[in-house]
Amino acid sequence: MNAVRGAAGALGVLLAAYGAWLLVSRGHDLLDVAVWLTAGVVLHDGVLAVVTVALGALAVRLLPAPARAPAVVGFVVLGSATLLAVPVLGRFGARPDNPTLLDRDYTSGWLVLAGLTLVAVVGAALVRSRRRRGEG
Amino acid sequence: MRLPDERDFRSRLRSAAVTARVGLWLGVCFLVCFATGLLSHYAQNPDHPVTFPASPAWGYRVTQGLHVLSGAAAVPLLLVKVWTVYPRLFRRPARGTGRLVLDLLERGSVAVLVAAAVFQLATGLANATTWYPWAFSFRATHYALAWVAIGALLVHVAVKLPVIRGVLGDDVDGTSYDRPAATEPGILSRRGLLRTTWLAAGVAVLANAGSSVPLLRDVSVLGVRSGDGPGGVPINKSAVAAAVTATATHPDWRLSLRNGDRSLDLSRDDLLAQPQHDSELPIACVEGWSASGRWQGVRIRDLLDLVGIPPGSDVVVTSLQESGPYTTTVLHASFADDDRTLLALGLEGETLSLDHGYPARIIAPNRPGVLQTKWVSRIEARA
Repeated sequence: MNAVRGAAGALGVLLAAYGAWLLVSRGHDLLDVAVWLTAGVVLHDGVLAVVTVALGALAVRLLPAPARAPAVVGFVVLGSATLLAVPVLGRFGARPDNPTLLDRDYTSGWLVLAGLTLVAVVGAALVRSRRRRGEG
Repeated sequence: MRLPDERDFRSRLRSAAVTARVGLWLGVCFLVCFATGLLSHYAQNPDHPVTFPASPAWGYRVTQGLHVLSGAAAVPLLLVKVWTVYPRLFRRPARGTGRLVLDLLERGSVAVLVAAAVFQLATGLANATTWYPWAFSFRATHYALAWVAIGALLVHVAVKLPVIRGVLGDDVDGTSYDRPAATEPGILSRRGLLRTTWLAAGVAVLANAGSSVPLLRDVSVLGVRSGDGPGGVPINKSAVAAAVTATATHPDWRLSLRNGDRSLDLSRDDLLAQPQHDSELPIACVEGWSASGRWQGVRIRDLLDLVGIPPGSDVVVTSLQESGPYTTTVLHASFADDDRTLLALGLEGETLSLDHGYPARIIAPNRPGVLQTKWVSRIEARA
């Protein structure tokens, strides 16, 4: 296994070095690239991860036990969908000369998604709460 | 306030048993993105040492759709995977010089991997909506960092292989690879967290798929294109954005065919007098969306015959558009000789709209949309 690991590791270093070489030799605005590369990690590790931990602690404190698991599921599903929705919700790429681009009402779409998630979370919480009482 | 310590994170959910299972599918998504991305990059290159085939006509449409959708699925997968290993960010540095060096190397490789992965997903997502909040070239940078990401991924798998094999061979609730502090039950079970992750990935795919899968248009609330546009085909660059309105509608417009000394100028009426053909072909954009249309026009091969350009020749197509990277494009022999490849004059039985490339545009099978040159002014043998 160690031979396979060594070979895979060496190949990985080569591929990554090729990418770095492409970036340095053919890319431009490297400072901007560096800012984006760093910002992604900092925003995740320093903001998103911390907010998630805080929300988790808050959920344990505020939510009744049967609602916690559904709330976590809803948070993971809706949270990642919302991150994916940032560019369309902001319509940053929209152009007045091209009505075929970003041609939906994304706010309503997101609200529908959020509404469905909320209904599913509350529904699951109620079912779990009733089941728990039935058992008790 | 002190920095957190690895031991502060006590949930049993943050376990390598979860990490490896999510990581496996994340790796699959990244491999699909990498392979389809390389293919797209190659298709856009002016030189093709290996012939890029014109069949199947829907090939590029499918690979680009897969590229964007596996990228969308990767977002929840990456978030959950990184969540499970977040405590390791705060682990104490290893003792002893040798171990410390290895530890720093591993941290470095993970940092490169996470930075490249987040970069690829964020820039890809923005690009799909034609939002470019940066100064660098998207194509060159996304391509270069794809190699960095896949290389760092391979290094990461090599480093972690014993753990990956260990946890995947064991039950998902196994604890042999857990951190000593991870003893408290989480809000979800591990299986519950995994199912939640697959659900989130599925929702991410469904919410975006409508831009390439017509059946899903109604449920894809985040789709960048709902498929509307002249002739049922959306537009990437309008005539206004390309600044061609005046030249494209000018009565003096002629298509210039050139083969060395031989040349022929044809008006739109001359082109309409040539034998007309129908082709059902998709526009499949590099941004990932696609839509199929029934195009009418003259076969490129017939036009090339008019000035004696022999079969097997690459040709250069020039647009009225005066600036931009796709003002001139190469139409390789495999496409130029294909019977389905047209100089389109109409779409769905109607005159080609200005935004679709009036007076005439290229439409060929299995090709990136940016190469389906609009507002064509010249077609010539490649020197």
